[in-house]
Amino acid sequence: MSQPFTNENIDLERLPAFESISFAKPHPAYWKVIAISLLLWLLILGASITILCLLDPQIFAQISYIASAYVVLAIALFLIYRASFKKRGYALREKDLIYKSGLIAETTTIVPLNRIQHVALNEGLISRMFKLGKLQVYTAGGQSGHLGIAGIEIEKAKQIKEILLKKLDQIENETIA
Amino acid sequence: MAYDFSKPQRQSAIGIIIMAADTTRHFIKALMVPIVVAIIKLDKEFLSYFSIGILVLFSIVSLYAYLSYRRFTFYLDAQKQEFVINKGVFNLTQLVVQLDKIQQVNINQNLLQKIIGIYGLKVDTAGAEGHEVSIRAIPQGLAISLRSHLLNRTPIQDAVPVSALPEETTILKVSVSTLFKTGLTSNYGRSIGLLLAFIYPLYHTTKELLQAFKMDKGQVESLVESAFSLFSIGILMLVVLLIIIAINIISTLVKFFDFQISKHQHALLLSAGLLAKKNTLLSPHKVQVTAYRQNYFQKKMNLLNMKLKQADSGHAHREQELQSANLEIPGCNAQERDEIITMILGKIPSDTALFLPNWRFLNLPILFRVLLPVAIFLLVGNKLPVVMAYWPLAVCYSLFAVFMIYISYRRHALSVNEEFIIKKSGIWDVGHEIILPHKIQAITVFQYPWHKSVDVGHVNLHTAAGIIHFKYGNYTEIKKLANYWLYQVESSGEEWM
Repeated sequence: MSQPFTNENIDLERLPAFESISFAKPHPAYWKVIAISLLLWLLILGASITILCLLDPQIFAQISYIASAYVVLAIALFLIYRASFKKRGYALREKDLIYKSGLIAETTTIVPLNRIQHVALNEGLISRMFKLGKLQVYTAGGQSGHLGIAGIEIEKAKQIKEILLKKLDQIENETIA
Repeated sequence: MAYDFSKPQRQSAIGIIIMAADTTRHFIKALMVPIVVAIIKLDKEFLSYFSIGILVLFSIVSLYAYLSYRRFTFYLDAQKQEFVINKGVFNLTQLVVQLDKIQQVNINQNLLQKIIGIYGLKVDTAGAEGHEVSIRAIPQGLAISLRSHLLNRTPIQDAVPVSALPEETTILKVSVSTLFKTGLTSNYGRSIGLLLAFIYPLYHTTKELLQAFKMDKGQVESLVESAFSLFSIGILMLVVLLIIIAINIISTLVKFFDFQISKHQHALLLSAGLLAKKNTLLSPHKVQVTAYRQNYFQKKMNLLNMKLKQADSGHAHREQELQSANLEIPGCNAQERDEIITMILGKIPSDTALFLPNWRFLNLPILFRVLLPVAIFLLVGNKLPVVMAYWPLAVCYSLFAVFMIYISYRRHALSVNEEFIIKKSGIWDVGHEIILPHKIQAITVFQYPWHKSVDVGHVNLHTAAGIIHFKYGNYTEIKKLANYWLYQVESSGEEWM
């Protein structure tokens, strides 16, 4: 490595703190993506319930209960997803990628850039309509060590991906040299 | 004898037997029931057709084995630093393994291989798509030479004769009496599983066979029932316990007979096995998590179980793959443990800062393992007086469970210094997991909203060989630690494998 060797005393209090940085929120349009997928899902559920009701008069007799349960479920789902959407955030620092999420437990996962195995960019069918993508970062830490950041503008996601890949290359070259 | 691995090589021709035997074994496994039926029924006509079928099958198997022997070649590409295997009979496959991705090379010998006098060689890689690289039939000299080439990445031209390999020094030898003690004191859970896995198919197959001959008129069930009525439950349990211990001792002996660790240039050589000898060469810096555990009995005997965990390939959900990534040392004393730790981590961890969990650690386990079951018991008991009669049992259970949970709380601890992270945990078996900070792949910290005011939180350290959890710590300290570990990971150029 070309850098001069230094070995200074480290002040633990002055290390950069991940918790005090500001997080970028997912794009507001991503809420629409979530809402549309939810609606589609609810529609399919509703359709199958309707078919069931039409086939079996006994179930049809309970229609008022089923309908109210359905409405409660729909409202609860929207509220939960909305709350979880609000909680999400990500940040790219010089040397790591941070993702914050979690409806109940506020979870922050940090992946050092020199531990990334590979990077993928996913575009879902509905996401694509809003020009959004999901950035996926894989580490050797197994399932739970992976990061998936959904709802980033596709251009920005591509940029981040480029930055990450460039860093990966750089790190690889450094270790070889 | 020197070997030139730069040219494609075949396995030993005698290996055809191994391949044929393997295929035959698969067939026999699949055709078990018809074969047994044929032998028992002894219908002449049926038997003649059957033997013709077997003959045809045998020739197909032989042809298949021969073809797969012809098509199977392997060589080392010195320029690209790759190990290449070509194989397949109808579908040709080329497996390419980069040498620096190789994490360990095993040389094995099963019973059949022992009889013929050849060895199998298996390459374990990290991060690969689970493609198993294995060579089934090569002579010993070739296997050892190939293994050292694969692991040392030495230029292929100056192939070292086997005899010229440097002397190995033995670090650890596990005696039969130690194995006996290990078998006596550990792995009860695994043995229970083994017992169930053994008994159930036995029951099932017997029933199936009897049904095939239309002999089953409920004999099996009635036999099992009468067995239960013959033994009182107490004696039955004693017998089961004895069987478990016997299985434990036998399986430990078979698996770890003549267990040895020796130092071999820059690597450790682990070898063991009674029927099938297994040799594993391991580079210390590829060990991700170094773990050891000890229970009360073992402490009295100065006995420890160690595990050297390597990176699993990410898809390693199969038991076998996990086993091969986790190298087990069945029994050693504290001094030998320190020696092995020094070999792998460079030195013995010392002078650590200790982090302990908050008492809130107790809440959830007590809620779910004590209060909830007891509540269900009371609810059911309210309706059924028969159940209520067992209330002393419920009291005993509650006391016992609370005690266990309290112990697990007292044992949960994280020790940290500049070079090591040590996680301690356990109830009966007290385990220690040691990792080096640069083996961390990702860090997750999390906190429940109701713990915000009391500053309690959790951290998961993701390594390539599993997650290290530390729960209910001081969240401010945890965040400080996370920042420190991030600094360590991001500032060091040290490779994690």
